[in-house]
Amino acid sequence: MGFGDYPKEYNPAVHGPYDPARYYGKPDTPFGQLKLNEIGAWFGRRNKTPSALMGACSRAWWRWQHKYVQPKRCGMAPFFQLLVGSMTFFYVINYGKIKHHRNYKYH
Amino acid sequence: MLSRIALRSASARQTASTALVARGSATDAVGVRDEKNFPRPVRGEPGKVRLGFVPEEWFQFFHSKTGVTGPYAFGVGLTTYLCSKEIYVMEHEYYTGLSIFLMVYYATTRFGPKIAAWLDKEIDAVETNWNEGRVQSIKTLEESIEDEKTAQWRAEGQEILVQAKKENVLLQLEAAYRERLMTAYTEVKRRLDYQLEKSNVERRLAQRHMVDWIVTNVTKAITPDQEKQTLDRCIADLSALAAKQ
Repeated sequence: MGFGDYPKEYNPAVHGPYDPARYYGKPDTPFGQLKLNEIGAWFGRRNKTPSALMGACSRAWWRWQHKYVQPKRCGMAPFFQLLVGSMTFFYVINYGKIKHHRNYKYH
Repeated sequence: MLSRIALRSASARQTASTALVARGSATDAVGVRDEKNFPRPVRGEPGKVRLGFVPEEWFQFFHSKTGVTGPYAFGVGLTTYLCSKEIYVMEHEYYTGLSIFLMVYYATTRFGPKIAAWLDKEIDAVETNWNEGRVQSIKTLEESIEDEKTAQWRAEGQEILVQAKKENVLLQLEAAYRERLMTAYTEVKRRLDYQLEKSNVERRLAQRHMVDWIVTNVTKAITPDQEKQTLDRCIADLSALAAKQ
């Protein structure tokens, strides 16, 4: 076991070149198409190890990259998205401190 | 002569179509490669965004329920809520952020398109550079294919030339044969004419000689008695004729 290995289910002869944005495990219904009463069962089926979580984060990052960064003529969109994303993230982290800088007492 | 070329090209076209059929029936490589579910990844078009960073899909998500202004109304309402409840505090850092935002907006609208065009040119230059070797070798190979075809056409031309030369020789042989045939005919005709003339001359001579001989003999044979008798008879005939008139 090592970091940076291919997923266990990836087979070059069957799947061709490795695409980091694809999930190579058993196919399941996408999250957006689930009915509300299936959500619990769906979560039960998921693989909840840390490496699986890291894999999910990595695939999400690569999917965003494929869509906004990797095309030949991408615009400023990825920069602005990263900018806004990091702004909101750091605002949320520092909210406890910023709360005390409110201008009005009653809202 | 040009009909020969037309016949050849008709037969060549048929063989090209049969070759195409044979190539088309070749199958893909063996096996387990799942092309349907795992197609080869392709570099796609960039995702569409509005206002510079908001993905288009969020707007489409709202569209069916709230129409075109839905997402904007949602955004305005959310920001109003955050600002009025002071969840988003407009402290001193906010004004720094606002100034920076204005500068960034000005820069993107003023210089954005020009920088984008220049960067696009650079990208195209890099891509052509990478593809250069492959494209060049393909072009060279295609040119050599064309040259090969021209050489084949020339060789065909040589064959046609040789056939034409053969025909030429045959024509010359035919002409010589006919000329000799004519010579033979004229010679034979000359000889036959000579024979004809010779026989004509002989007949004429013989006739003249015979006439002369008959006349001299008859003249010789006329005795004076006969002459006197003939004269008397002629006079009697004449008088009879005169009496009739």
